[in-house]
Amino acid sequence: MNDKRNDRKNDKKKKKEKRLLPTKPCRFCMDDLPIDYKDQSFLSRFITERGKMTPRRITGTCAWHQRFLARAIKRARAIALLPYVREYFR
Amino acid sequence: MRAYECIYILNPSLDEQAVKEKAVKYGEIVTARQGQVTSVDQWGKRRLAYPINKVFEGYYTFMRFTGDVEILKELGRVFRFDEAVVRHLICVEERPKPVEAAKSPAEGK
Repeated sequence: MNDKRNDRKNDKKKKKEKRLLPTKPCRFCMDDLPIDYKDQSFLSRFITERGKMTPRRITGTCAWHQRFLARAIKRARAIALLPYVREYFR
Repeated sequence: MRAYECIYILNPSLDEQAVKEKAVKYGEIVTARQGQVTSVDQWGKRRLAYPINKVFEGYYTFMRFTGDVEILKELGRVFRFDEAVVRHLICVEERPKPVEAAKSPAEGK
């Protein structure tokens, strides 16, 4: 019984691994783009329509640049360039 | 000495003249403490991303300066007690020449 269960778990794991998409290159690394908290229109590409930050796995940003991006978005929110929550987005 | 940048939002009920006077006043705070104002940029009246104290718009002003920590303390204090200032942000300039780096891609679009 236990073995069967483990097998199933392993199968699930394998399926998950297969679902991984090919990794996108980090666009900040590629083009040496500046991350500026004052650039509202640029940062708004990295937040969802609700106002949340888009995770790394979707945008393909590397960990190093995601940290700077997160800081920039937080600063932009503090001075009301970006919303904390966009409530009526439809 | 270090390079800093600060943004403050002024109440939209002020007129353009008052906004300019404020910019001069805050510049003097920096220069009075052996600091240097590198640039002052008026962004004009903008809509805020969310209302702050029932205010929906504001005059954005961006100022870059060099100086010591004393200036930051004083500026922060003045901003906090000035009722015309809706929000302010002071931070260290990250890139040595951010203007050239930041403006060129935006202008190209």
